[in-house]
Amino acid sequence: MIGRVAVAIVVLAVATITYPGAVLASLATRVATPPASTPGPVGALPWLHVEHPPGQRPYIADDQNRLVILHGTTPVGLLEFGPGTSYLYPIDPSAYANGQCPDNLPADVSRYPPLCQSDLTQMAALGFNVVRLPLSWSVLEPERGHFNDLYLDRVAQVVDWAHALRMYVIVDMHQNAFSHYIPKGPGVHLLYNSGAPRWATFTDSFPSQVFGNNREVNPAVFEADNNFWYDRDGIQDEYIAALARVVRRFKDDSGVAGFGVYNEPWIGWNLPPGFDDLLLFPFYRRVIDAVTGARDGLPCWSGFYMPAVCGYRDLGVDDRRHLLFLDTGLQREVTDFPTHLGVPISSYPNLVLGLHAYTHIYTVDKLVGQEVPNTNYPWGGYEQGWDSAEREAKAMDMALFMEEFGNNPEDDDLILGAQLGEAQKHRVGFAFWTWKENGDIGAWGLFRPPTIDAESSGCMRGNREELLAAVYPRLSADPSLEYAYDWADGSFSLRASGAAGGPSTVVYIPPEVTGEVAGGGAVRLVTSSETDGSRIVFATTTGGAFQVTVAAAPPRLTPCA
Amino acid sequence: MLGLLALWFGVFAPFAVYSGARSWRRIHASGGELTGGASAIGGLVAGLIGLAVIVVGTIYWVVASS
Repeated sequence: MIGRVAVAIVVLAVATITYPGAVLASLATRVATPPASTPGPVGALPWLHVEHPPGQRPYIADDQNRLVILHGTTPVGLLEFGPGTSYLYPIDPSAYANGQCPDNLPADVSRYPPLCQSDLTQMAALGFNVVRLPLSWSVLEPERGHFNDLYLDRVAQVVDWAHALRMYVIVDMHQNAFSHYIPKGPGVHLLYNSGAPRWATFTDSFPSQVFGNNREVNPAVFEADNNFWYDRDGIQDEYIAALARVVRRFKDDSGVAGFGVYNEPWIGWNLPPGFDDLLLFPFYRRVIDAVTGARDGLPCWSGFYMPAVCGYRDLGVDDRRHLLFLDTGLQREVTDFPTHLGVPISSYPNLVLGLHAYTHIYTVDKLVGQEVPNTNYPWGGYEQGWDSAEREAKAMDMALFMEEFGNNPEDDDLILGAQLGEAQKHRVGFAFWTWKENGDIGAWGLFRPPTIDAESSGCMRGNREELLAAVYPRLSADPSLEYAYDWADGSFSLRASGAAGGPSTVVYIPPEVTGEVAGGGAVRLVTSSETDGSRIVFATTTGGAFQVTVAAAPPRLTPCA
Repeated sequence: MLGLLALWFGVFAPFAVYSGARSWRRIHASGGELTGGASAIGGLVAGLIGLAVIVVGTIYWVVASS
């Protein structure tokens, strides 16, 4: 009898901390009452939320429930990288006031230039309506429990610049290979590492050596990540507190579209699918509980390993308006298909799956040495990653956003164009990686690296301007619309439908695109010519199907002085 | 052991069910000669739970993602 009871207790305990518990906690979010949305003050931009149409993939929507397409990029000037132990550019916002911009640093000191007001102006001129702004935990909380509010002032400065240009900001808690406090070792280039502060980086004397030229494939990084996922010494609690600090600061700001919870989570010593399902997604649920008060998981302890069923205490932020962007495990970039079960994470409705689309860059084919276009993987081409992401987002009841994509400029015609085509096909916005980057001609920035010391970049890459300064619908009353911009000839077509009297569909045409605008079907068009040379088309349907087109015409690219 | 593994890694679940059921039948048929009935039933139950999770998860994915 005692033996049976003991066995039953063991089975029950193990089931609670493993898949049965995780799946029950996930499915329970489907029947839980979603946390009520808190009213937000009227701001410079409309509040965004995630709309959940029955039987369809959720989508990012505005206050009139229109589909919102966000186009943007990721400037990296606020991130702290190694090998040093301090942020290299001024943090004080006064150093950037009134159009000032600190000198850029050489590529061997900093891979990225400082982020200045002129950068935001350049982004807006390309038609971007969102900036993904990565932050470093190491700068935010350099000493345990002590937060650097000057850093948040600096973030707020960038947010204000963006608002003035009617651009949203995604404030992104970023990391690359866990931290630049990973010990030095063979193949370790800390210039490429960012994230956790020194006090949260536990490598337990594991050797620091990079294998396969991938910064994450390093035993010390594995161990540091593992310690984070198992909440060694309460560091996960500290991370949640740091994120809550950021959310609290921008809680009432409608121009902050939302928050990226954790960039490219690395698996540590764990295996898929358990990493995502038992460690990563429960961590996300706890973050959501903490900042929204959703109370999805079970009440549990904190400060050390919390099983998948565990929720988290309400930290009193009560932000129930912003979007939360959630990345899948980094291994998805290798497989180009989901590496987890696909059950929902939280009852909080404003969740966005952050897709990092790096087909032929980090996928298996590249890791075994194949070069595009002569590759044998993914078997389903680019569509494999996208179709599965669409299904993944739908199953998890989240909107979808291409949070990162980018490549060596040599491969633009093959990779960049393909990913942008997929984004259009799936009606998904994007943030291009990266805005500006120091280094040689192979650097990934939208601009060429600077050729003159102290300047933040060289000229804009013409090919990238053609591809990224696109005609696109910023808002659509019809979430099932179809649209296509052809960067080869500058033409654009959109097909949608709607009821008379509904809100307008808004199409943005950048200054680079010069073709004539025309409408067809049940639509009335009003075209506004902006001072920067762009055009904005307001398409109001009179009831039924309609089209908006832009004729092919030669592009008007920014000259390179 | 297979049963407990099945709770972490569903791939072990069918083997845990098979092994647990077979062991329990042999123990039951031995008329007390063989022991370990609690462990066999524990493995069987854990395997069944693991299997149920796989089935529920797969059904959910198919229904919710299409």
